[in-house]
Amino acid sequence: MIKEIDARGLSCPEPVLQTKNIVEKEHAERIRVIVDNEAARQNVTRFLESKHFEVSTKQADKAFYLTGKIDKDMADSEIIKIKEQENPCTKKIMIMVAGNRMGHGDDELGAKLMIAFLKTLKEIGPELWRLVFVNAGVKLTISDSESLPVLKDLEKDGIHILVCGTCLAHLNILDKKEVGETTNMLDIVTAMQLADKVINI
Amino acid sequence: MEFPTDSNLIVGLKNADDAGVYRITKDLAIIQTLDFFTPVVDDPYMFGQIAAANALSDVYAMGGVPKTAMNIVCFPSKQMDLSILRRILEGGLVKMKEAGVVLVGGHSVDDKELKYGLSVTGFVHPDHILVKKNLMPGDSLILTKPLGTGIINTAIKGGLASVETIESVTALMAELNKTAAEVINKYQVHACTDITGFGLIGHLAEMVTGSGYGIEIISDKLPIIQEAMEFANMGLVPAGAYRNRNFRESMTNISPSVNRAVQDILFDPQTSGGLLICVESSQADSLLLELKEKGMNSAAIIGTVSPDVDDIIIVN
Repeated sequence: MIKEIDARGLSCPEPVLQTKNIVEKEHAERIRVIVDNEAARQNVTRFLESKHFEVSTKQADKAFYLTGKIDKDMADSEIIKIKEQENPCTKKIMIMVAGNRMGHGDDELGAKLMIAFLKTLKEIGPELWRLVFVNAGVKLTISDSESLPVLKDLEKDGIHILVCGTCLAHLNILDKKEVGETTNMLDIVTAMQLADKVINI
Repeated sequence: MEFPTDSNLIVGLKNADDAGVYRITKDLAIIQTLDFFTPVVDDPYMFGQIAAANALSDVYAMGGVPKTAMNIVCFPSKQMDLSILRRILEGGLVKMKEAGVVLVGGHSVDDKELKYGLSVTGFVHPDHILVKKNLMPGDSLILTKPLGTGIINTAIKGGLASVETIESVTALMAELNKTAAEVINKYQVHACTDITGFGLIGHLAEMVTGSGYGIEIISDKLPIIQEAMEFANMGLVPAGAYRNRNFRESMTNISPSVNRAVQDILFDPQTSGGLLICVESSQADSLLLELKEKGMNSAAIIGTVSPDVDDIIIVN
């Protein structure tokens, strides 16, 4: 059955919105949209084409009759293409760790919380993009750190780990770093700019 | 129509420039302009900022400094709470303060549809007015803000723009052209205008008509709001863009290889768009660098003035 939308008298973007609604909600495969202005004619045609409809146009009585029929092959190949993209992850979350403990108060508790935090990070899923360690945070990346195995696992999962070189040098532990890439402030600032979300710990 | 004039009128209606300019003394001229429109965003405070930035822009585009302003308000007081109007006016005031402009008065009428804007007066030295048509062959063209706000505003109206897109485009439209205007003062800029309702091509057309030269635009260099491309492909192009296209198509030669969404963006009506600067080509790179250093990250050299063509040519 053909779905019909009479969008005469409506100005942009209303005809496109009504068409979009029918196409997406009712999965219409055949559709006819009647519009009465050139902008709406071009916009609705464009929208239907973006959804893989073949569009034919007839003009009568100062109106345009746009008939769209879905091009099955095109639409199917599009669905496969979307499925083929693995984890099309749109968001990038960066976590900035500026200390070796979580929060202030009891130091022992703070250290435990930090390990628990790092262990739980993988729950963020594919949106977790980068971990940046600065100041005392760099101590978490050295040989005798309890967090080391957790961080190595995260790195193996493809999480990018950046460790502040100036901080390692200042604390005299440059040669003890066991995980991640030594970095500078420019890289850190660029990462902040690229990230969709920066979480400070 | 015949318009009254006198010897002190430097830029008037006949010139169809961004604003009128009238000489007061040999060292001082005033720039006068007025602009108001219906809301483009839902947030009244941001709408006030955008409307004010848009109205102030014409003074900057003429090479001047805005000094005083008056509010123009049309408000449906029976349907809307006065607190909305208050937020709009507060938004406008923030931009006037940023511009160093004094609000000296205003006028409001009851109207079915909300509208807000400013009448602005600015100062300029009569010898340093930046008109549209003073193109020189070989000049480079620089655009200071990305294009696509009309298409995004259509998507906002349709409820299809994300919160992030709305926020970033709102901030872009509320951005004054003040810093850009201050920067270009230091360079050999021959002509300038701001991009608004006629879209990039419409304003280019005004520049070239009667100038004796043509303009070549490299579409790949155009700064474009990324989401505008997606929305254009979805058919969210405002009717104004089609009108602009019909009006200027005859003097535009677009290479068929230019992406269709980019073609829409060339004609997309802009709200509070950037400055389009025509600068001596040897200075273009340093001017661009300084604009970027001052925060105009999207600014780009988009084309050149050519003595060999008399229209607008768009290539990839």
